Amino acid sequence: MANIAEARIKREFKEVVKSEEVAKCHIKVELVNDTFTELRGEIAGPPDTPYEGGNFILEIKIPDTYPFNPPKVKFVTKIWHPNISSVTGAICLDILKDQWAAAMTLRTVLLSLQALLAAAEPDDPQDAVVAKQYKENPKIFQDTAKHWTHIFAGDSKVAMITHMLELKQIKKIAISHHS
Amino acid sequence: MSEEKKNQDSDNDSDLEESDHMDDDDDYYGGYYDNDTGDLDIDKPKKSDDPEYFEYELLEIEDVERFLNEEVEVLHSTLQIQPGLAKMLLLAHGWRKDYIIDRCKKEPDRLLIDSKLMPERKVTEQIFGNSAVCSVCLLKRPHDYFYSLSCGHSFCGECWDEFCQVQIQQGITTGIECMAKDCNILVPEDFLCSVMQKPELRDRYSQLSFSDHVKSHPDLRFCPGANCPIIVRAPVCKAKKVECSRCKTTFCYKCGIEYHAPTDCDVIKKWLTKCADDSETANYISAHTKDCPKCHVCIEKNGGCNHMQCSKCKYDFCWMCLGDWKTHGSEYYECSRYKENPNIANESVHAQAREALKKYLFYFERWENHAKSLQLEEQTLHKITSRIHDKVMNNTGTWIDWQYLLDAAHLLKKCRYTLQYTYPYAYYMEKSARKQLFEYQQAQLEAEVENLSWKVERAEITDRGDLENQMDIAEKRRQTLLKDFLEV
Ligand SMILES: [Zn+2]
Ligand SMILES: [Zn+2]
Ligand SMILES: [Zn+2]
Ligand SMILES: [Zn+2]
Ligand SMILES: [Zn+2]
Ligand SMILES: [Zn+2]
Repeated sequence: MANIAEARIKREFKEVVKSEEVAKCHIKVELVNDTFTELRGEIAGPPDTPYEGGNFILEIKIPDTYPFNPPKVKFVTKIWHPNISSVTGAICLDILKDQWAAAMTLRTVLLSLQALLAAAEPDDPQDAVVAKQYKENPKIFQDTAKHWTHIFAGDSKVAMITHMLELKQIKKIAISHHS
Repeated sequence: MSEEKKNQDSDNDSDLEESDHMDDDDDYYGGYYDNDTGDLDIDKPKKSDDPEYFEYELLEIEDVERFLNEEVEVLHSTLQIQPGLAKMLLLAHGWRKDYIIDRCKKEPDRLLIDSKLMPERKVTEQIFGNSAVCSVCLLKRPHDYFYSLSCGHSFCGECWDEFCQVQIQQGITTGIECMAKDCNILVPEDFLCSVMQKPELRDRYSQLSFSDHVKSHPDLRFCPGANCPIIVRAPVCKAKKVECSRCKTTFCYKCGIEYHAPTDCDVIKKWLTKCADDSETANYISAHTKDCPKCHVCIEKNGGCNHMQCSKCKYDFCWMCLGDWKTHGSEYYECSRYKENPNIANESVHAQAREALKKYLFYFERWENHAKSLQLEEQTLHKITSRIHDKVMNNTGTWIDWQYLLDAAHLLKKCRYTLQYTYPYAYYMEKSARKQLFEYQQAQLEAEVENLSWKVERAEITDRGDLENQMDIAEKRRQTLLKDFLEV
């Protein structure tokens, strides 16, 4: 890994860790290995969106030429959003492509992604299916996004409870069938 | 052109000006007007009543550098601006000198802003103490380590250096922008040179930025031949034939692919894509798909079962006879017996598709056949050349005596080439009186090309007058067709 890249990541790491967004549990970055080439990001779903209450894990790969080229970021947590592939987690966001600037940081990236969750850009979609639903059927879109947040990005306690409730429901149906 | 004056003027780019090519100067600039200088263009049309006539010149890199520097020089002296700045303005505005001069006089600031050379608002970074943190490497550096463009965003020299290197390695040169967020101010060449410590990338920078300059110039085109350094210069952009004397590639000046008269650039692109796409689909469609007899949607058969259900209208039918599946059952085996199709009305969509395919294959076969013939005629040309060589060696005439044989073979190639490219043209033509005329002329050309081909293959036993007469007729047919149908 190039000198500048590694040194920058180390310093940035401190910057994110001590930032006030972390204190408020809005964003987080962790090391995956000790080479600083791969990181794990986490963003909280913004309030008043179908992603509220969810925690979204991101895979962040740092290229050798960082920060002169953008980090490669994708969602690990499945998410229903017009600019994020529902299958691969690939993200369509200008600052991760041609609008990247060397003076931007991981913190900027994470905050931009959070902003993207709050305000989708359906005219520049990554996932055409989701984008179509977003435009033509906003109600169903909201429900689906909420459901996905719930299932895939939910707080583990909440997820467990819902899972248990669903199981109970199934048992109930099964029992009522028998009787 | 005043070579001496320019050499005196150029201070920083003297390496671009080295004029060991002074000798060919006359050829390149003089040759533009009198075309009898080179041996390269026997085929090149010369008269302006020729439908294929096209004015162009083939330039070496040095010639183009000189030509571009002259353009820069004009702006430099008219507007009293730095040559580097003049070059960036020319690049940003497609080398329209008059436009730049005009705007520079009316609204110089706006022009610089639009050209990404001046910011809407300059930032002033506050200075505390004697050092600052570079926002790219996040290191604390003394103030004199910092550099900034006209926008005022400053970063340390090391970061600028690394940044420029990464950009050049990725092929970006004239488009390198400031490192700040949302700032698109361009990095000028002299700034780049002042921050880049390693000189190794300078050459790459020069090559790449030269290529950007050529591509942005409306009158210049790189020869599309593999690794060919020749640059074509033409005063107008038309879909006309250019023949490179260096690599022998012939191409359309407008779109850069193989010359394609009388077909125009868009149509030939469509045709070539279709040929590439359909080479397999043609077979596939006939073998694996049929239209639903009820709703006519195209259905693919991916299994062995002959009972099909249409995915769209849910109609159940038989793959073999396209009849209603309900009528099968007991009389199932009736189906395999040949009889007049009672569903002919329903089959019409399918028949139409079949017809479309038949039509495409008709044109494709002829297009392809001429391409193959061209290859064979290339071999004939080689044979003729070696036979003439033998004759000359045996003192049976001179090259001049036998030249007409070569001319005939060359002309045949040219005629067949045009003939080949009449097929895509005809394929996409609407049914009309014009199409009738086209097909008539195409048939005429076809006949004369085959006559010529016959005679060229038997050149030595054909009377010279007869052969030359046939050449004349074939070329006239070709010219007539092009005159009527080549878009000018
Ligand atoms: Zn720096
Ligand atoms: Zn800037
Ligand atoms: Zn060439
Ligand atoms: Zn063309
Ligand atoms: Zn159907
Ligand atoms: Zn049948």
